[in-house]
Amino acid sequence: MKNVMKKIYLGFIIVLLYAPIVTLMVLSFNNSKTRAKWGGFTLKWYVSLFQDESIMNALYATLIIALLSALIATVIGTMAAIGMQAMNRRFRTVMMGVTNLPMLNADIVTGISLMLLFIVFRFTLGFTTILLAHITFNIPYVILSVMPKLKQTDKHTYEAALDLGASPIYAFFKVVFPDIFPGIISGFLLAFTMSLDDFIITHFTKGPGVDTLSTKIYSEVRKGIKPEMYALSTLMFVTVLVLLILINLSPSDKKKKVLTAQAVKRRRISGILLRRVVPAVMAVVIIGGGIFYASKNGSGSNNQVIVYNWGEYIDPEVIAMFEEETGIEVVYEEYETNEIMYAKLQSGAVAYDVVCPSDYMIQRMIENDILAEINYDNIPNITNIGAEYMEQSEQFDPGNKYSVPYCWGTVGILYNTTMVNEPITSWSVLWDEKYTNNILMQDSVRDAFAVALKYEGYSLNSTDLDELTEARDLLLKQKTLVQAYVIDQVRDKMIGNEAAIGVIYSGEAIFTQKENPDLEYVIPDEGSNLWIDSWVIPKNAKNKENAEAFINFLCRADVAFMNFEYITYSTPNTAARDLIEDDDIRNSTIAFPDASELERCETFQYLGDDVDAIYNSLWREVKSK
Amino acid sequence: MKSKIKSRKLLAGPYLFWSVSFIVIPLLIVIYYGFTSKEGAFTLSNIAQTTTPENLKALGLALLLAFVSTAICLIMAYPLAMILAGMNVKQSSFVVFIFILPMWMNFLLRTLAWQNLLEKNGVINAFLSFFNLPNLNLINTPFAIILGMVYNFLPFMVLPIYNVLIKIDKDVISAARDLGASNLQTFSKIILPLSKPGIISGITMVFVPALTTFVISDLLGGSKILLIGNVIEQEFKQSSNWHAGSGLSLVLMVFIVVSMALIAKYDKDGEGTAF
Repeated sequence: MKNVMKKIYLGFIIVLLYAPIVTLMVLSFNNSKTRAKWGGFTLKWYVSLFQDESIMNALYATLIIALLSALIATVIGTMAAIGMQAMNRRFRTVMMGVTNLPMLNADIVTGISLMLLFIVFRFTLGFTTILLAHITFNIPYVILSVMPKLKQTDKHTYEAALDLGASPIYAFFKVVFPDIFPGIISGFLLAFTMSLDDFIITHFTKGPGVDTLSTKIYSEVRKGIKPEMYALSTLMFVTVLVLLILINLSPSDKKKKVLTAQAVKRRRISGILLRRVVPAVMAVVIIGGGIFYASKNGSGSNNQVIVYNWGEYIDPEVIAMFEEETGIEVVYEEYETNEIMYAKLQSGAVAYDVVCPSDYMIQRMIENDILAEINYDNIPNITNIGAEYMEQSEQFDPGNKYSVPYCWGTVGILYNTTMVNEPITSWSVLWDEKYTNNILMQDSVRDAFAVALKYEGYSLNSTDLDELTEARDLLLKQKTLVQAYVIDQVRDKMIGNEAAIGVIYSGEAIFTQKENPDLEYVIPDEGSNLWIDSWVIPKNAKNKENAEAFINFLCRADVAFMNFEYITYSTPNTAARDLIEDDDIRNSTIAFPDASELERCETFQYLGDDVDAIYNSLWREVKSK
Repeated sequence: MKSKIKSRKLLAGPYLFWSVSFIVIPLLIVIYYGFTSKEGAFTLSNIAQTTTPENLKALGLALLLAFVSTAICLIMAYPLAMILAGMNVKQSSFVVFIFILPMWMNFLLRTLAWQNLLEKNGVINAFLSFFNLPNLNLINTPFAIILGMVYNFLPFMVLPIYNVLIKIDKDVISAARDLGASNLQTFSKIILPLSKPGIISGITMVFVPALTTFVISDLLGGSKILLIGNVIEQEFKQSSNWHAGSGLSLVLMVFIVVSMALIAKYDKDGEGTAF
């Protein structure tokens, strides 16, 4: 009876631990691209996984970083553990305290502190900084694994070996090392696993062009995880599982005190496997990988362009075409919000060549003098951009000196016609108690306040404290009705019928409608936000001409068209719009709304750091209620 | 002999160098930012930020959720660790690996998968509907965040307790039995006190990450619930105010110092290390 209870309990815990993992495995066979819908069984993600260069690169970087950091940490950590054991108690306590710091400290603090260190000392963020960070948080795991084993070893055996004439090194490898070896191995494995699983610290210490699986996934949360990721995770998991089962099946007859000759032989073989073969394989992987990596990164490193763009905001095919036609290598990195981009750019840790911020952020960058004037002689394709969009840009970039429009759109309400019976024309629906817990709201300061301000009939660039407090109170009132504050998950959630109403960017609306025909997009009568994302070149760019070549390439009609098909955000490229064959899309009011609808819309302006701080603190009051 | 001990000490040299460069100095930089204003002058206003009503609430909620999930972890992990410790060596080492194994699936993906399970049209509710049971509103509630915390941090509670339990001398337990102690008495007088270092270390290893997480509350709380970790993350990433972020981080570190003091008090020999 008792045993049955134990088994049930164990079973319950294992179900809890593995339920999400099984979910991910199932998703890897899902024919539909979004997480929210089951579209039938398929193996296609497993095929496309191996063709997806960016995922394979991320996988490779992850493994190399995990392996190298675990190895280096194991060496340093084991040495440290042995050395610390010889120290006096007080000094050892201090050292152990320092060792415990990265383990106990919040990952976010560790990550930030390392990022600040790298920036203050002018390290270029990249592969090396991730590696250094990972070694740093891995060493404690090794020390804490080796220390207990070291304490269990009998000091006298070591001394006896010395008395019998063994040199300290000989005595160490023959007497101490075998005893602590299990600790070293488990320390190594732990370090490897931790490095593999880390997100936060990598996120803060990485540079452009390097991605581990974690940071890659994080940037994909924005526009939905690529199903290839699920396939990859499943493969990795199954590989490790099989390896573990194999190791555990190999007989290690620890219980029997008397070893048969055969068992001794088997043990020896497994010993050789563990001590010779595994390190040899690792060495080969690292060296091979190092050469592979170096050859990949080394080629044409002088002729490159470092692009910093929104997540999933370009067709990868376009980048490949650009590289092929110009011979310029594209180093590509993504960000999630304007604010994140600005913080990174301002820190000066990386010199980006071309960036794609939104209107008000461009204004902020111009005012803070971190943008370079674009030389339009290098961008003849600018003529493809519609005059009205250049005019719009003047609002934040007077004289069109610094920016070239890339995408534009509106913010509106996406609603599910099976759940909403009335036609929606006003923001007021976001305060309708009928839809309690059925509303998805934008999780970014300016967008959220824009909704409330517009509903009240104010400008979305309001700096009037009374208007802003009013907007805050409205948002507070709304909070009880809101199901979740989201940025890009709104897409998946609306497709999956998780909510009736969502505030969404027009570019996402087209995609969601394709996946779920019940969805309808509307710009409320009170008006909304009209936004433009444009390419700009930071002042500290090292490859300005390459950046201009890149912008020019994107302005080419066929390229802009290709890009539009992929990202579904409205293009200001009128030549590209003419190439759209599907009449429904070319004349879609979502992608290309009428001028009359846009009259009610406003573009965000940069309101100055002080007003920004007011917005932020009011928003935090809403969020923390 | 002495010189040999000295040369052994030198082995810790590289680590000493490493820990000063990559642990101590970075923390000093955080402290510097925490106590200075944008103009570089000394100020306490970053620290004082903690006392605004919003931040206090975020901190309080974070403490509450971390406390609840730590308690749940402890209640779930202790029997589990005892079951594991009671198994034979070969089996249990396998089972221990079962707990580390999920980490090979990316942390973000695992947490994201809980969304699928908990959503309104998710797996759990589909299951309930199938049996004609009322649906549960799970996602975007504090409950979902606690679940995510328990799920992610449970192994960090199980492993240290397990490690302490297997080290308890079986003869001590037999002796207690021989002297007439009941099961309950053996547990409360022998096993529980002896496993204290493991419990303490498990508590810190769950409590600190639970207190400081921002990813779990973002993904499973629908960003409706703001924890102190989210506030810090936003200071750095959205407001790009490193000074305020550093100040709040320092306040968080107070809790870390407290937990370290706890460890040092109860776990003098470092027995309760997780691994």
